[in-house]
Amino acid sequence: MTAAAGAPSFICMTISYAQAPFAVRADIVAAHQQAWSRLAHPGTWLPGATRVAIAAEVRQTPQCALCLRRKQALSPYGVDGRHDSLGVLSERIVEQIHRIVSDPGRLTRAWFDGVVASGTPDTEYVEIVGVVATVVSIDTFCRALGLPAHALPAPVSGEPLRRRPGTARQRGEAWVPMIHPKDLEGELETPEERKLATYWGGVLANIRRALSLVPEEAYAWFQLVETQYLPGRWMRDFANEYRAITHAQIELIAGRVSVLNQCFY
Amino acid sequence: MLRESSKAKGEAYDLSLLTGTKGDGNIPNGALLVAFAEAVLGDNDRRLQEIQAAIRDKMDDAAFVDAAAIVATFNAIDRVADATGIPIEDSKAASTADVRAALGINAFAEQRGEIADPRERAGVGRI
Repeated sequence: MTAAAGAPSFICMTISYAQAPFAVRADIVAAHQQAWSRLAHPGTWLPGATRVAIAAEVRQTPQCALCLRRKQALSPYGVDGRHDSLGVLSERIVEQIHRIVSDPGRLTRAWFDGVVASGTPDTEYVEIVGVVATVVSIDTFCRALGLPAHALPAPVSGEPLRRRPGTARQRGEAWVPMIHPKDLEGELETPEERKLATYWGGVLANIRRALSLVPEEAYAWFQLVETQYLPGRWMRDFANEYRAITHAQIELIAGRVSVLNQCFY
Repeated sequence: MLRESSKAKGEAYDLSLLTGTKGDGNIPNGALLVAFAEAVLGDNDRRLQEIQAAIRDKMDDAAFVDAAAIVATFNAIDRVADATGIPIEDSKAASTADVRAALGINAFAEQRGEIADPRERAGVGRI
């Protein structure tokens, strides 16, 4: 399968929950199919083959002895060694993937600065984070339901877009440059920024902006989030329930997961 | 958000469930859902199977799937937040300062060398 000229098709049938002994919501199935298809296609900065290789490395992380030693150490920064990787990606990129997967709560600004100094452009890093998050999320969903992880998709050939949004800036907020919604109010240079402007609709939560240096990744990531969790307009509508569990049950699970991950945000 | 939900509903949810306190915390099936989150992120597969069966039995399959989707979402959102170094928003910092301090959540930021309350950076000070 190769990428056609123009917009790639995101129809992908590698994900199915038809064999599950219970019904999975159709919107979740569709969102996972779309996410898996995006995973296989060229992104903004990375080719499809690299994106799929990152996904495979996410799954390799639990087998990494270095990550296990670091996880058990008082500080991960005093433990050196080589990662037990699949050998497809550079050690530099493997370090980023394994750390984000295995010990995200102890990532530091100095570690991130080292990532950039070692030769990973901030744009590529943000795309890597987006791919890692997508795979972690869908794999976690399968584990939670007692289902096997999905086979990874075959990469689709083609060139990444390689377009950095002019509106993304480093304002001293996060480690990575982000777009501020106010910067999307005027004339916009790229279709990716215009898409994000329409989607954001003035919402300012930093988690929605986190991947905005790569607008397509930010947009796609939150399509998955809103399907699995709640669209923004429903989050604070406590008068109505939109899922089979209540707002309180949803936020209890969300909060407990974040505490277990030692995530401050 | 759990606190906002608690206020909106006029029900006193026990937020210490977030840090491992036992019980339902006034949330139906709260203990079961906390155990589910812990089992999915843990490595005891037998324990996970028991919790999965309990949720399907005591709640229903639709609740099971939606609960799984929430664990899946936040297990990844946490990584996006941590890997990009985004700060908590000022408004959220103000409204949750007491809860974060009481539950010891500020320590998660401090172990990363970050300022737990971004308003401190601007000289506003923590509540």
